This record gives sequence, C-alpha cells and structure tokens, in this order.
Amino acid sequence: MSKEKKARGYLSGREIRAITKANKKVMKRLEAQKYRKAEESEFLTEMKDPGNILEIDNLHTYFFTEQGVVKAVNGVSFNIPKNATVGIVGESGCGKSVTSMSVMRLLQGPQGQIYSGSIRFKAYDYKLDEKGKPVPAPAGSATPYEMEEKVYDIAQMPMREIHRIRGKQIAMIFQEPMTSLNPVFTIGQQLDEVTFIHTPGATKEDAKARSIEMLNLVGIAMPERVYGAFPHELSGGMRQRVMIAMALAADPRLIIADEPTTALDVTIQAQILDLLRNLKDKIDGSILLITHDLGVIAEMADYVVVMYAGKVIEQGTVEEIFHNPMHPYTIGLQKSKPTLQSNDDTLFNIPGNVPNPINMPDYCYFKERCDKCVKACSGEYPCMVQVSPTHFVACHLYDKEVDHG
Amino acid sequence: MADEKTLPEEEQVATPDAAPSVVYDDAAEEAKFMAARKAQIEEDRQKPFDPNAILEVRHLRKCFPLKKTMTGKVTQELIAVDDVSFKLMPGETLGIVGESGCGKTTMGRAILKLHQPTSGQIIFDGKDITDYKSAQMREIRKQMQIIFQDPYSSLPPRSTVGGILSEPVEVHNIVPKAQVKDYVLELMDKCGLRDYYYERYPHEFSGGQRQRICIARALSVNPKLVVCDEPVSALDVSIQAQIINLLKKLQQDMNLTYIFISHDLSVVKFISDKIGVMYLGAMMEYGNKKDIFENPLHPYTKALFSAIPHPDPSVKMQRIALQGDIPSPANPPKGCRFHTRCPYAKEICKHVTPNYKEYEEGHFAACHLLDEE
Repeated sequence: MSKEKKARGYLSGREIRAITKANKKVMKRLEAQKYRKAEESEFLTEMKDPGNILEIDNLHTYFFTEQGVVKAVNGVSFNIPKNATVGIVGESGCGKSVTSMSVMRLLQGPQGQIYSGSIRFKAYDYKLDEKGKPVPAPAGSATPYEMEEKVYDIAQMPMREIHRIRGKQIAMIFQEPMTSLNPVFTIGQQLDEVTFIHTPGATKEDAKARSIEMLNLVGIAMPERVYGAFPHELSGGMRQRVMIAMALAADPRLIIADEPTTALDVTIQAQILDLLRNLKDKIDGSILLITHDLGVIAEMADYVVVMYAGKVIEQGTVEEIFHNPMHPYTIGLQKSKPTLQSNDDTLFNIPGNVPNPINMPDYCYFKERCDKCVKACSGEYPCMVQVSPTHFVACHLYDKEVDHG
Repeated sequence: MADEKTLPEEEQVATPDAAPSVVYDDAAEEAKFMAARKAQIEEDRQKPFDPNAILEVRHLRKCFPLKKTMTGKVTQELIAVDDVSFKLMPGETLGIVGESGCGKTTMGRAILKLHQPTSGQIIFDGKDITDYKSAQMREIRKQMQIIFQDPYSSLPPRSTVGGILSEPVEVHNIVPKAQVKDYVLELMDKCGLRDYYYERYPHEFSGGQRQRICIARALSVNPKLVVCDEPVSALDVSIQAQIINLLKKLQQDMNLTYIFISHDLSVVKFISDKIGVMYLGAMMEYGNKKDIFENPLHPYTKALFSAIPHPDPSVKMQRIALQGDIPSPANPPKGCRFHTRCPYAKEICKHVTPNYKEYEEGHFAACHLLDEE
C-alpha cells in the first residue's frame, strides 16, 4: 500500500479482518449480557442524589465497525433533576443522540453496545411479589396494582425487561415526524397501541378515550378527525404534535426530545416549543432536550450539557453557560451563530473539523481547533474542573494545578 | 406537497369581528384585481431595461399543472411563484426567506430557467432571457450558477474532486485544455480545499468540505450571478460560519451577485443587502436589509422575526404567535394569502387581495393594514 493511502487512513484487508475478529469477541460477550435472563435484584440500585430522576455515570457507548471502534459516547456523566429540562447541545457526530439512544436502549446491535457505565433511573413501577408477579392493589385505589418507586440501572437491564421503562417511564420524541409514524396505520391505531401495551386490561374504548384526551392535550383542534386520519394527511407541525401525544400517552416521567423542531419551520417551531414548555408543568415530568440550536436551548433548558466528540466538555445552568461560557468551544459556538441583533461584518468561526472518531488523540480533542492552547493541552485529556456548585468545565485553562506556560 | 390533503385545524378559529359594514363581492374584487395587475404588467413591459442592473425580474409567475382534462387542458394548477418582481445590482446579495413550500426554491430555479417561467420577464445583464432556447441558454449558463442545499446528494459519487471541478471548465472552454488542472487547483485553493484533495472522491469528505466543493464547482466558470439554495442549512453551526465567511470573501474577490435562499433569518441578515420575504408564492415584503430589520411593515415579517429563539436565556422575546400551519399552495386562501394566520386580519383581508406597493423608498409590501394608516 502506498504511503499516501496509509496516511489517509486506508486499511488493508488483513487489518480489517483482524479488527473484525477482535470486535466479534467483544460483541458476542455484550450481546449475551444484553439478552440474558436476570432477576430484578441484579439491576436494582440506588440514586446518588434523591432529587434526580436520571443519573448517567461515566457512560461509554461504542460502535464496533470494521474500521475500528468508534467511541461515540466516551465517559459521559450528567444528572437530570426532577421537573427540570436538561438540554444537550453539540454538533452532529458529538454523541448527543447516541446518549439518548443508550438511555432508551435503542442502539442498533450487535455493533452498537453500551460498553460500560451506568444509567440510573428512578421509576414508578408495579410492586412485585416473590414470584415476580405484580401485587393487586386493595379495592378503591386508582391503579389495578400496587405501585412503588424503584431505581433501575438501565445499562444493566436485560432486553426482555426493558419494556418496563421504554415508552412507559421514558418516552421519546424523534426528529422526523414523517418517518417515525407508520404510514399504513391511522393516527388512532398508533396512539391506541401505547395504551394497549402499557395499561394491563385496557379495552378499546379506554384506549380511544385516552388517545383523544392526549390529542386534545397537545392542542389539536379536531381530535376525532385526526384520530381517524393517516399520517400523510397531516402537516409537519401536526405530525410532531401527534408524536408528542404518543409520547405522553403512557404518563412518562422523562421525555427525551431528540431534535424535535429541526425539521420544522420557525413559526411552527415556536408553537411546538411553547407546547413542550406548557406540557412539562402539566405532566409533572422532566425533559431531556437534544438539539444543535443554541437558541432553542436558551429558551427551553434549565441546565445545559455541551458535548464535543463524545465527551461532556462543559455543563451548568443555562445562565452560566450563556452568560459565562468557559470552554473555548462553547465560546466559539456561541460567537459563530449569527443572531438578529448582531451587526458584525465577518462571523467568528472555529477553524477545522471534528477529529476522526476512530483515532481520537490522547490530548484534548479540541486542541487543534482551539486558539487558547497552553502547554498542558498537549498532555493528557483534561478532567472536569468545578467552577461553581453547578458549573463544570473540562479545560486546562481553568485547572489551577497544571502548567499554563 | 402539491395535492396533499391538509386537514383544517386551529387556523380556522376566526377573529371575532364586528358585523361587516361592507359586503364584499369576492368574484368582482378578484376580477378587478386581475385587471389592474394585467394593466400593470403591460405597462411594465414597455419600460426600458435598467442598464446598471445585473438581474431584473418582472412579474415572474410559475404554475405547475395539477389536473388535466383528456385534451390536455389544465383544470387545476399550483401557483408556486406569483407575480414576483425585483432588481439586483452587481455585487449585491438578495436574501429570500420564507417557510417551506413558499416557492423560494422554485423562484431561484425559474430565474436560472431550470424551470421555464409561465409568464413574466427575466432580464439578465440587459438581455431578456425568458424565451431563450436551450442552445442560447448555454452561453448564459456560464454566467449564472447554483449551489444546492444538500452537499451529499449534489456531487456525483463516482468522479473525483478534480473530475467534478474540471468538467464545467472543459465544457465551457474557460481556459485552454493544457491549463485546466492548474486552473482547478488555483480555484480549490481559493475555496479552502487542499491540493491533494484533487484525486479524492466526495464520500471521503465531511459536509462542510463537500459544500466547499459545490461552491468551487459553481465558481469554476466565472459566473456573475450565483443562486445559493439553502447552502448552509444542512451544516453545523461552526461549519456554517466557515461557509458563510467563504461566500462573503469570494463575493468581494470576484464581484459576485448572490441570490441567497434560506429559511434562517439570522443567516440571511448576515449576508444580504436586500431581503425579500415570501409567503405562499408571493413576495410579502421587499427592501433593504436595514429597512426590513429596523422597520418591518408586514405582520408576517414581524411574526417571523419574533419566532426565532434568541440564544440568551435572560432575553424574553415578545412573541407574535402564529396559529396553525401554512395553507396548501394548491388552494391558497382568498383575499390576502396571510389572513388565515394573521393576528391583525380584518374583514377586507378575507376578500380583497392587497396590492404590492412601495411604502418607503425601495421598501415594498403587500398589506391592507398599511393603507389605512
């Protein structure tokens, strides 16, 4: 192979076969772990802070490709407090969607795997007896079974148990409302399905009443008509409202909104954001909002997590991130977005591109694009520095112990 | 998009109006409006071309047939672009904003004659090119180019960057054959592409680099006018800034005229000298950037401005909430197109189409509310 091809990162057939062989071994182990039979006690755990609803702790999610291992999420930790909106912001390929997919356990196997780390989620689930059957509630209570608060480690849960959480406790709103709705079923059929799956003993009438109630909640004017309509009959904004209704139908505690307004026009985006904000108060839940639009984050979020190349580089409250950004990437990102108020002649831009996800360097991933490098930046990856009780940044500039020469 | 059946929704909630004092005859008003427009078109047709303008668009209209009878007569049509007029001087940038389905892309393509306009005049560089045949257009194509939105699908996957960039140069005989490679390498350097990319294929590049290749391809024939159709919509914020700065720099170096189509008002504000706001195929407001941003006249423009989320948590925008969705362009509302969503709609707006008039020097708008004041 020529030197030039080597430099461009081409692999020979032999190298690819070696990588595939090594990958297969790891994937087999992780797949077996995923589909194992497990007692509930194996994935029950405790929250570090009882005020949180979700705690992600040192999460590593890898994709095993024949070019090498892509560390899409590489040691991400953050918490979602109860009744809060947490926004993840970052550019494409920074791992923000993979983080949410890991929480939902929707990764495409066998290549995509949660390699290590834990995702602790405080669920409100049926109380189980020794045989693993739900305990019937005493007569006169609201639910047919007794409920209790449990903390699950989602990363350790086997796939056969994941239905306890997915769609019920944690619901997701996807980016493309057209591709996420099934074109051959009516809106009503798709909405009813949620109730059938997550409410034991639900009748057709119950499901329909619930679906119509949800359509009303998301502000659809003629829910009866939309109930019988097919997705193609609705406009983009209405489809996204239906997606939100579907997410809400099972009373989730956490809603993950993965770029919910990227495919929509600004006027419709404003409507959907208003809706999400109002709903959060109504349903008494938390929202994890994933977006690349800083404007949306500023408007919606209470806490912000900034991700870059699979790592969290800065996190804090929304005021801290927008009024006192510390990481050079966060600062650059905010400066490079043109706003209606600015009157500059040239836009600030961050030079270069995100590094290749397969061969990540040992030093700070942002070093090549950063204009504030110090000596320590060539050393090992910076650790999280606490600036205020809620504000953390991963940058050597703020680390008092390193060489700033 | 065309015959998609949209359900009536919230927008139908009519504003409570006092009992209408005037009863409007829709058909008569329509006829009156069409007659006035026809007279205006005839009058404008007689006017001489502006010798300074690089592009002059007069009453451009583009319809797509939806239904035809057996004999081929069109019974229903979608008016994608309806009576759009503007003038562009060399070196200027016109920003076109609007929601999806408002006809901004169709307008850009009709100007390049990638769609044959149904009626109207396109005067490019002092020549009326509206009825040019394809052989005549070939010469003009050298001077007008387009950059597409999606850099992933607009590059041929089986040719190298060198091949992609040399092809237009060879076809249009821009430089002698022997100098093509040097010319292309120089062009690549101008667009921020390294010389060793020459042998590479599009799939090896990231979105931002691909968009640079698209820009280089458009500029390879030394055009005067470039239509940029959402060139940065598919890119990340940091890459977006790089591409916008590149476009601005190239404009200064090569004295280019841009028509910059985008749905992102903040990007349009950054790059444009003039701005046109489109809604359902028609120009709602047109004027200099300063006028549009400091003194927006049309309620739709105001609503668009207020809908953009501001990247500062302490700023709480006073939002003009627009109800409902953009109506189907196959069946636009009678009267003012915007009346179904307009928070200030009056009785007259539902029946009479407002005229597109100049309210300030170089600042056009179409709204009844402005006439009352």
